Amino acid sequence: MTSHEVTIAGYLVVLAGIVVLQVLAARTRAPVPSLGDLLTRAMRSRTGRVGVLVAWAWIGLHYFAK
Amino acid sequence: MALACPGESRCPGPGGPARHSPGTDGGAGAGCAEAVADTGRPGGRVLAALAGFRAPVVWILLAIAFFTSISGKPVDGVLLLIVAMGLAWDTGRRTLRHPEARHGAVPRPAGRYGGRRWLVAVTALLAGGAAYAGVVGSFSRYSWPVTACIIGLGTVVVVIGWQGPLRDRPVGGRLPVAGTLAWVAVLVVGCLWELGALLQQPSLTTDSYAHPTISTLTDPVLATSPGRAVVLLAWLALGWYLVER
Repeated sequence: MTSHEVTIAGYLVVLAGIVVLQVLAARTRAPVPSLGDLLTRAMRSRTGRVGVLVAWAWIGLHYFAK
Repeated sequence: MALACPGESRCPGPGGPARHSPGTDGGAGAGCAEAVADTGRPGGRVLAALAGFRAPVVWILLAIAFFTSISGKPVDGVLLLIVAMGLAWDTGRRTLRHPEARHGAVPRPAGRYGGRRWLVAVTALLAGGAAYAGVVGSFSRYSWPVTACIIGLGTVVVVIGWQGPLRDRPVGGRLPVAGTLAWVAVLVVGCLWELGALLQQPSLTTDSYAHPTISTLTDPVLATSPGRAVVLLAWLALGWYLVER
């Protein structure tokens, strides 16, 4: 495998991990919170809420803005 | 700093008789303003900002501002720096006024929407979002028009979020530790993998085919106007989802 393929494989493994955890949370009784539950919990405090929303805004800035 | 309120009847704490909410007071400090730090004075503002730096989110934002700036995105860096400083000051100010509210609990207002008005609002938002994605997606990446549109919307959403949730949500119990740690592990590994690819580029501002970052991998999609519009729609949907949390 080339470095390019290894790097992409790493991203796919992480993505698969996210999908597996979300499926475990939504479809089974495993003690795994969903990503939505995590975000909701993180956004219960004002600093957490602002932090998450700034992270969202930063995604837009990063991909589109100067 | 010890902050003494002269009397319970004059200075109800969070959730006290006067329903004084730590997250909503807006700095009023009703009834006991003289007993707390005067954040209107320069010294008070410095004290408030320093207290706010105890919030980890502030340090995370400062770190992102720094790395974004040295990666050739000074506008992003300055904006993040402004938000970090504002959050530090606001958090510190609230903490000094209400030491019990050190974690800055967000209030849970009663639901404001429902029925036909809610449907009209959602329809208008969907139409506005589609128009926004179409128009902004037609602009070139990294141009001033798209920069202004992204900064404008981002500012509106962050300001709305700063006020608290839009409607009531169940608080919920504690999250299972093992499952939460699993999420943290996956997300941290993802961040480290991306960081590893970034650091293996020829420079922070030069892409690498051998070690592509997520930004590099998405460049082909974002090179076209329809691609940008679709990604902007997804970004808007995520933003709406988060504001609703």
